Amino acid sequence: MMLLYGLITGIIFGFLLQKARVIRYDKQLGALRLIDMTIVKFMLSTVLVAMVGTYLLKDLGLVKLSIKTTILGSVILGGLIFGVGWGFLGYCPGTSVGAIGEGRYDAIWGILGMLVGAALYAEAYPGMKNTVLTWGDLGKITFPQVLGVNHWIIIAIIVIGGLLLFRWFEKKGL
Amino acid sequence: MATLEKKGWSPYLAGALSGVLSIFSVWVTGKYFGASTTFVRSAGMVEKIIGSERVARMSYFIKEIPEIDWQWMFVVGILIGSLIASVASGTFFWKGVPDMWAKRFGPSKFKRGIVAFLGGVIAMFGARLADG
Repeated sequence: MMLLYGLITGIIFGFLLQKARVIRYDKQLGALRLIDMTIVKFMLSTVLVAMVGTYLLKDLGLVKLSIKTTILGSVILGGLIFGVGWGFLGYCPGTSVGAIGEGRYDAIWGILGMLVGAALYAEAYPGMKNTVLTWGDLGKITFPQVLGVNHWIIIAIIVIGGLLLFRWFEKKGL
Repeated sequence: MATLEKKGWSPYLAGALSGVLSIFSVWVTGKYFGASTTFVRSAGMVEKIIGSERVARMSYFIKEIPEIDWQWMFVVGILIGSLIASVASGTFFWKGVPDMWAKRFGPSKFKRGIVAFLGGVIAMFGARLADG
């Protein structure tokens, strides 16, 4: 049943990704080159809506948050490495399979590369477990918790900030 | 409507709908969207064909068991959903070199393939390191 839910959710998500044209190389590189903000608009819209809805359900006791551990060393280093790779490939892990769905078959090489990258990471993992993956380990933290304020204050600030950013994008024609 | 079809949907609208989808996913199944763990599980599944004992001992594959799970099916679904949307709207076509790439680096599929592959290796290593 869980597998079926995964498939259905993925089909709807893939449909929306394709409709918004965000799985294309030109759009992803456009965002990285700061000339086309389409994927930023898509991602941030998703985040804003999901953030409000998820916290609402959490307050009602209907869902649990899945908070990742903040490890500064691995997040910063990993983010920098990911950025270089993303710039070369022009697809991220999720959009690469979507790209094949619309016939952009250069993504196949990227997917093969990503499988190799995952295998290499699995090899390197034991060595990194006691080094990079411990540098600046702050635990499972959130903004409301660190700042000691109600989460709706943070949510309101992020939503307003996001909407202002959208307005600026539209003004600049990005 | 015809022009809207050709141009696709507003990224704000499609993004917001994806947000709603994510809320329902978390509500119904407790699952948050993600894709990169699937590449780890798949790499493990391939490696198991070569040597299953070694895979069984590797700490990262003990952490991320090489098997088909919710996210694995989610990733397969993305391919199907994209295929349905592109075929239905007439935007499906085979293309091995993106326009922006070709303009800068030329039409060679080989060159594009090599860089895409290397980019994939680097991107996934970084993604896993950042746990994303």
